[in-house]
Amino acid sequence: MTSDDIEVIGVGMHPFGRFTGHSLKDLNRVACVSALVDAGLGVQDVDAVYAANAMAGLLQGQEMIRGQSVMREIGIERIPVTNVENACASGSTALRQAVLAIRAGSADVVLVAGVEKMFVEDRGRTLAALESAGDLDVVSGIGLQFTAVYGMRLRRLVAAGRLTVDDLVAVSVKSHANGALNPYAQHRKIVSPEEVLGSRPIADPLTLLMCSSICDGAAAVVLARRGVIPSAGRPTVRVRASQAATGYTTTGNEPSLTETCATAAYAEAGLGPEDVDVAEVHDAMAPAELIAYEHLGFCGPGGAGALLGSGATQIDGSRPVNPSGGLSSRGHAVGATGLAQVAELTWQLRGEATGRQTHQPRIGLAHNNGGWLEGESAVSCVHLLERTDPWD
Amino acid sequence: MGLNAALTVPTTAQRPRDNGHALVGSRCGQCGAVSFPARAVCHRCGTPAPAEHTFATTGVLLTYTTVHVPRPGLPAPYTLGQVALDDTGPTVFGQVRMNGAEPAAGMAVRVRIGADGETPRYWFEPDRFAG
Ligand SMILES: [Zn+2]
Repeated sequence: MTSDDIEVIGVGMHPFGRFTGHSLKDLNRVACVSALVDAGLGVQDVDAVYAANAMAGLLQGQEMIRGQSVMREIGIERIPVTNVENACASGSTALRQAVLAIRAGSADVVLVAGVEKMFVEDRGRTLAALESAGDLDVVSGIGLQFTAVYGMRLRRLVAAGRLTVDDLVAVSVKSHANGALNPYAQHRKIVSPEEVLGSRPIADPLTLLMCSSICDGAAAVVLARRGVIPSAGRPTVRVRASQAATGYTTTGNEPSLTETCATAAYAEAGLGPEDVDVAEVHDAMAPAELIAYEHLGFCGPGGAGALLGSGATQIDGSRPVNPSGGLSSRGHAVGATGLAQVAELTWQLRGEATGRQTHQPRIGLAHNNGGWLEGESAVSCVHLLERTDPWD
Repeated sequence: MGLNAALTVPTTAQRPRDNGHALVGSRCGQCGAVSFPARAVCHRCGTPAPAEHTFATTGVLLTYTTVHVPRPGLPAPYTLGQVALDDTGPTVFGQVRMNGAEPAAGMAVRVRIGADGETPRYWFEPDRFAG
């Protein structure tokens, strides 16, 4: 059995943003019920659940049974619920577990859910929780914030002449413009290059409008073994590859973690970067999209600025990247992010992405990273999805 | 040497992380891979109990950033860097204290070790002896 036998039969989201009156259960309910309705299923049709969350233990104090506690709200009990935590890649890691469960023959219909509630009374608690995405035994006390890790990566590329500050600004403007078209997005306002450059410095060269922010939200995906659920009479989306990898102690001379994971995903699917029609990539800071272009093979070393400048990665380009607005504009509700990417790609592949619809994509790529080690992400997941029906 | 040698290595708290003026970690006797802090098993070749190793006090600042968001006990702005220690030492993150000077990618830096109980335990400064 191969991953070709698994279909994405339903997706749903709770919009990303600030939802003060909404609990984890409220956010999760909207995403999961939307995904099940999209699939045409009821809660009793689900064989197993993988529930992704990264921060509820630290922010809400709900440890141990986070998935069970939110699933009982929507009447899901008795079946196996497995909690998945893998930093910012929790959602995509949960998706991979669901793929493996179906491949193993232990389930036919699996609900994958991701939820995060990062807005709490004290913003300092959220920043501290985010800081725990590093190996604290090694880095605690030095002030290594998420933004700083990205700031250092980008500075190195700018210093080497592989990116310019103008590139960082331009990709951030693109991110906001796409987010403005997405009703699920946290940041829905078009910004100018001057506004991006002039916004508050965060961790240079990053400014406020280049960065994702604290975010509440949820996303859910229903996977099924092919043939178990009759087609709903709309285009079928299937999983062509599902890969995960862990970061490593770098000497600075190895291929990047994303490159390693993407290479495995392309090999699994028998596809290459040239086959990808639309991608949702991990841009916790909008300029990280440029790094992903290289690591996913969309351009050669040093080619990211030119690729962006060509317009190819815009919504109306030949290979749109982050039509949703990505993490930095759609939002980065940490544990939900990987599944929000898959929801977006599914809408894109079906042709249901309304004002941000890209031109007839067949292959979609989701790239979701998490945490950091010294110089590398701690986690990377790459999924490839395919629309099997022709566009007419 | 079998993997069971990893059962009897010192606990993480027992392994030194500095000797007062240099960072201390481990270096694998089989493949030469280095780690800071020391590990129980080599991450590159799987050999257990890599030897304790004192790293060079000098290194190259690969990249840096000035952080403008304060953290408890850490007023902003402060500068963080990624440093490759000389003599094929490990790559580590740390604060960079420029004392008013501008950092630059590629510049030579020197590690400084704080007093007992000081946070952070170590940081980097420009290497004024570098040519
Ligand atoms: Zn070794």
